[in-house]
Amino acid sequence: MTPLLEVDGVSKAFGAVHALQNASLTVERGSITALIGPNGSGKTTLFNVITGYLKADTGRVRFDGHDVTGVKPAYLYRHGLCRTFQQARVFGELTVLENLVVAGGFPLAQLFGRRIGRSDRNRAGALLDEFTLTRVADLYASELSYGQRKLLEFAAVLMSEPKLVLLDEPTAGVNPVLIETMAKHITRRHADGTTFLIVEHDMNFVMRLCDPVVVLDQGQEICVGPPAVVQDDPAVLDAYLGA
Amino acid sequence: MSTRQWIGPTRAVVFFAVIASLPVFGLAHWAMNMLVFTLMFAVMSSAWNLLGGFAGYPSLGHVAFFGIGAYAEVLWFQHHAIVSGYEPFWILPLIGIGVAVVGLPVAALSMRTRADVFAIVTITLLFVVQTLAFNLRGLTGGAQGASIATAPFPAATYEQPFYYVLLLLLALAMGLTWAGMRSKVGLSLVAVRADEDKAAGIGVRVQTVKLLAFCVSVGLTGMVGAIWAYYESFIYPQFAVDPLITVAIVLMTFLGGRATLWGPVLGAFILELAQQYLAYSLGGSEFYLIAYALVFLVVMLVMPRGIVPSIQDRLRQRRRRRVVDAT
Repeated sequence: MTPLLEVDGVSKAFGAVHALQNASLTVERGSITALIGPNGSGKTTLFNVITGYLKADTGRVRFDGHDVTGVKPAYLYRHGLCRTFQQARVFGELTVLENLVVAGGFPLAQLFGRRIGRSDRNRAGALLDEFTLTRVADLYASELSYGQRKLLEFAAVLMSEPKLVLLDEPTAGVNPVLIETMAKHITRRHADGTTFLIVEHDMNFVMRLCDPVVVLDQGQEICVGPPAVVQDDPAVLDAYLGA
Repeated sequence: MSTRQWIGPTRAVVFFAVIASLPVFGLAHWAMNMLVFTLMFAVMSSAWNLLGGFAGYPSLGHVAFFGIGAYAEVLWFQHHAIVSGYEPFWILPLIGIGVAVVGLPVAALSMRTRADVFAIVTITLLFVVQTLAFNLRGLTGGAQGASIATAPFPAATYEQPFYYVLLLLLALAMGLTWAGMRSKVGLSLVAVRADEDKAAGIGVRVQTVKLLAFCVSVGLTGMVGAIWAYYESFIYPQFAVDPLITVAIVLMTFLGGRATLWGPVLGAFILELAQQYLAYSLGGSEFYLIAYALVFLVVMLVMPRGIVPSIQDRLRQRRRRRVVDAT
């Protein structure tokens, strides 16, 4: 079977800054792949290219057997590739429940239907329970703590029933208890068959959850392998510590 | 149904009943005139709120569509007779739709920009339309103005037909707002306002709801322009496309509270009545403008997000505290 996601030779430059140089990456079905690398190594840029928020200068992206290079984010989202953002991007002026409903999508004919119908409630209800957000369902997202907002953003993208979820630093700025919650949710969803690609700086989190780990440095993949191997790879140590 | 669910409809019925019964008291012409203008601004603020409030696109060019509606009305009745006096009201839906259609390409172009840039783009539209009104002399009469036959209504109750048509239009604007808020259009619009890129990324129909909000908003504004033209019966470019009108409706909406049903109406009633009253009492010098600005400043100082949202917040906090106390 083909890998779920294949990034092949992607380059992206912002003026003279080469954020990505011939970067390649493969995410196998059913894996939790980690994407790590020092600051400025191009992780988020790669995320943006994969999810269609940025156009690559060169290179191809294949998702689920189809070439999706340069495709709009909404299209990918509807077809099972979704992401969260480094700075949780939820709609502060919508309630928690509404955030889920709006992320769930609806056919054009329903545009004039009820803001939150019964079927919406049912669809979102299971996720609210899963993420223990039921108690805060009617609070505005802006009233949540930062960690809870990250959790909400994660829950919201799951409304699209994705095959592949890209998480951009899910634990950054989040308290230790919530990190555990986040890990729990990722593991559970993974067990249910969802594939993950995670950018993360918390090595403890990465080593515990992810396999394989992909290391990016200066816009290039420098090492791939199980956490234990990557940890001891001289090229990786070099990239992080600088020699 | 809980009591809270009855508050909304009751408020609407009481409001419209009170406003509808005002003319019965035989108000003086100056008072009726003041109310007619207040209603005009209430409709326009409500309409502006659909775009500037809910969608988060602060248009400063709305008065361009007011002017287009006004000239459409005048031009139409240069070729059609007014017999009963109500004909100019019958074609209002046509003018509304026409202005909305004109607005569509404008929206498609201008809404590629956002926030302050959008405000600047739309304000140029205002001056383009004003310049056209001045210079397309064959059509608009230019600075000479253009006229429409005066309405053959009895002098004693001359303002009443305008008043009630405007009241109907206000009901329409508020009805559309209410329906929008309760539908997925409203849900999508709030998402667009909060974070348009993210909304687009998760498949919200950003373009559809943006264009819809724009067209409905300017369509309503064009209809008010048409009524205004008929009411004034003589229109000039500098008044039909007056930047002060744009400024007024934006201020009213901010004062009452953006993205709320009642905010723009409340803002219109406070500011327009205050302005008219101050203009009467402080005389012909422009001194009233300072007093008018003062009213606005004081309210904004106390309630920076506008009156309605500030009150809603306070109520919401009280309710939350009660819930917390109870558990």
